[in-house]
Amino acid sequence: MASVSSVLVKIGRSVGGVVGTLYQAGRDSVDTVIRNVIPFMAFISFIIGLILTTGIGDWIAKGIKGSASSLPGLLLISIVCALPVLSPLLGPGAVIAQIVGTLLGVEIGKGNIPAQYALPALFAINPQVGCDFIPVGLALGEAEPETVEIGVPAVLFSRLVTGPLSVVIAYLASFGLYSSAK
Amino acid sequence: MNLLSVGYRLAEVTVDKPTGVLGALATGAEDFIKVFNKGGSVLLSLMGGILPTLVVLLTAVNALIRIIGPEKIENLGKAAARPGIQWYPVRYIILPFVAVFVLTNPMAYTMGRFLPERYKPAFYDSAVSFVHPILGIFPHANPGELFVYVGIATGISQLGLGLGDLAVRYLLVGLVVIFIRGIVTERITARMMSKKEA
Repeated sequence: MASVSSVLVKIGRSVGGVVGTLYQAGRDSVDTVIRNVIPFMAFISFIIGLILTTGIGDWIAKGIKGSASSLPGLLLISIVCALPVLSPLLGPGAVIAQIVGTLLGVEIGKGNIPAQYALPALFAINPQVGCDFIPVGLALGEAEPETVEIGVPAVLFSRLVTGPLSVVIAYLASFGLYSSAK
Repeated sequence: MNLLSVGYRLAEVTVDKPTGVLGALATGAEDFIKVFNKGGSVLLSLMGGILPTLVVLLTAVNALIRIIGPEKIENLGKAAARPGIQWYPVRYIILPFVAVFVLTNPMAYTMGRFLPERYKPAFYDSAVSFVHPILGIFPHANPGELFVYVGIATGISQLGLGLGDLAVRYLLVGLVVIFIRGIVTERITARMMSKKEA
């Protein structure tokens, strides 16, 4: 009898543990969505509404159509974003990358930018990723202050090379992507 | 009949062309609210479209990570610390991928603690560059910055094209890019460190 009840307790505990884990996972994910995702969606929706209903969209389209639908144009965007002075300013929260991404998405949707440029564009707008966060990121990795001192410029200079390079790689990798949708 | 047509004409004039100050105000008000109506419908389509999937996916992956236990990947961090050319892919492809997948942004960078100082900036560069390419397939890794990918992906879906191809290529090209970034930054760091010592 004692062994039966101990088995029951064991089963109850493990089931409770699994359910608890799943429940906590659900709570975490809803929390993330409410705190981080929905606010940004609201903000992005406002910007999209503004672009689609006012003349701003056409004005932006004229501005970026030339640069975002050719390899040299995308390279130019990536070099500007990777400049060691600008990149830490453009980085925080990836807000700039998200806004520019949304703008490009709207123009792709309208057909102003060919769909196969989506892949290189994803890299062109983002060579500054994490450039604002280098000291914190290195501190999370328990780096010495001397390493941080060298690491910050090392990453910033590296981006100047790897930023445009990533656009070229993505451009080459985009062959055959949505090619029938030209 | 005559009266009716006059009335019709009058109505047509007042509705179609509001004139004067009030008319301009009315047009302005309509244009003003139009922006937010459009924004509202975009918000609704986003929340109806990707949000439910995201919540379920986040829950599943969070549960998986909790059951496996994030501390299990520590051995990988130790392996990546080894010198030698064969450990480069582990350090700048596998470790960043696993760290970003399991620990997510920003805790992924804590894996740098297993590496020697000279590799830390390169690992950070590699890991941080992967927090967006992973979003196409595993949005749980960085849900706060989803729109880097979703912004552009929305345009693709508006054209009626599938997103799978773009998401997979974004991930694969991302892996190639973080590998190159890791190597380049490691070289630059090494050069700057030796210059400082000299």
